[in-house]
Amino acid sequence: MNANDVLESYITDVAVRLPHKQRDDVAFELRELLTEELQARAAADGRDADAAMATELLRAFGRPEAVAARYRPALTIIDPADGSRFLRATVIGLAVIWSTGLLTRLWQPIQSGQGVLQALGQWWVHTVVASLWWPGMLVVGFGLDAWTRRRWPLTSKWEPRAGDRIQGGRAAMALSIVGILCGVFVLLEPSRVLDVFFGGRAAPAAYEALTYTDEFRQRPATWLLLGLLLLNVPMQFAVILSGRWSAGMRRMEVGLSLATCAVMTWTVLGGPILRTDASDQTARFLMVLIIVFVLLHFGIRLFRSVRPAPSLHGTHG
Amino acid sequence: MGQAEPFHKLELELRRGVVVLATLSQLRGPRYGYELRQALAEKGMPIEEGTLYPLLRRLETQGFLRSEWRLEDGPPRRYYALNADGRKLLQNLTDAWQGMNDAMDRLLKEDPQ
Repeated sequence: MNANDVLESYITDVAVRLPHKQRDDVAFELRELLTEELQARAAADGRDADAAMATELLRAFGRPEAVAARYRPALTIIDPADGSRFLRATVIGLAVIWSTGLLTRLWQPIQSGQGVLQALGQWWVHTVVASLWWPGMLVVGFGLDAWTRRRWPLTSKWEPRAGDRIQGGRAAMALSIVGILCGVFVLLEPSRVLDVFFGGRAAPAAYEALTYTDEFRQRPATWLLLGLLLLNVPMQFAVILSGRWSAGMRRMEVGLSLATCAVMTWTVLGGPILRTDASDQTARFLMVLIIVFVLLHFGIRLFRSVRPAPSLHGTHG
Repeated sequence: MGQAEPFHKLELELRRGVVVLATLSQLRGPRYGYELRQALAEKGMPIEEGTLYPLLRRLETQGFLRSEWRLEDGPPRRYYALNADGRKLLQNLTDAWQGMNDAMDRLLKEDPQ
C-alpha cells in the first residue's frame, strides 16, 4: 500500500458512515484536505510521504467512527445524567432475574451431580441468556424518557414532594386494606378461591391441592403469620386518618414487615404447607419470592435514604 | 495518577468551549479547511484537523456558514465563510466571551484570603 491507498481506505471508512446525501461531497473534501496535510508533513520531515506517515497522520485524525460522528449533531440515546441510574437498574434487575431463576431451578428435585449441572445449564440458557430483554427494555425506556425531556422540557421540571406522603393517596391505601382482608380470607381456607371461581364445582384434586396439611394448621408460626398480616390493617387505617406517614408509623411498618418475613421464613422451612407436593412447592416458592421482594424493597429504601450530616473525613492537600 | 492527566482533561474542556468562537472569528472572509487551521495555529489556537473539518460542516448544517467549491486555480477546495446568521452568532459569542473573560480576570486577580 502506498500513502494514497492508505488515505483512500480511511476516507472510505469515514464516508460510508455518513448520511448518503453528504457522503460523496465530504469524501471529496476530506481527500483534498488530508492530501494537503500529508504533503505539509512530508515537507516538514524533508522526505516523500509514505504509507507509514499517512497511517500516523490518520491515526491522529481519529477513528473513522469517531470522525464520522463529528460530522453529525451528537446523538444521545441515554442522557449522561441518567447513566449511573441506568447502570444500577441494569445490574440490580439482572441480579434479581438471575437469582430468582437459579432459585427456581435448584428448587426442583435434583437427584445427582449430573442433575445439578443440567439445572445450571438450563438456568444459563433459559434465564441468563433470555434475561437480555431487561437491559434492552431499559435502553428503550431511558431513551424515550430522554427524548420526552428534550422534546417537552416543561413536563420534566422538578416539583417538590413531601417525604411523608402516602404513595397513591388515601384511595390506594384503602384498596391495600381491602387487599389484605381478601388475602387473609383466602389464606384461612385457600380452597375458597375455587368456590369463588367455579361455584364449588371444581375437581376434587383441585380442592386437595389447596388444602392445608393438619400439621401446618397446628403450627404456632401459622397463627403468628396471620396475626402479623392483620396488624397491617389498623396501622394502614391510622395512616389514612392522619393523611401521612409519621416517623413512628414508618418504623412500625419496617418492624412489622421484617417480622412477617421472619415468620414466613420459619413457615417455609417448617415443613409442608399444602397437601400435594406440586401445590406445596409452588406455595413455598411464592412465599420465598415475597420475602425476597420485601427485603429488596426495604434494602432499596435504606440505600436511598438521605440523612444530611457533615462528613468526618476531610481532604488534606 | 499525577497532576498532568486532570490538567489535560480540564484544559481540553476549556478549549472545547472556545473552539467554535475561534473558528467563527477566522471566517469573516472565505477560507478552506487547511488554510483556516494554519491561520488558527499561527495565532496560537491550534485545533486538531479531526475536530476542525467536521466542525465546519456542522456549522454549515446549522445555518451559520455558507460554502462553495472553487475548482479553478489549483486543487479543488471548499471555501467557508460566515453568513448573516453566522455574523450575528459571532457577535453574540464575542460579547459573552468578553463578559466571561472580564469576570475571570477579576476572579483570578483577587488577593488570596
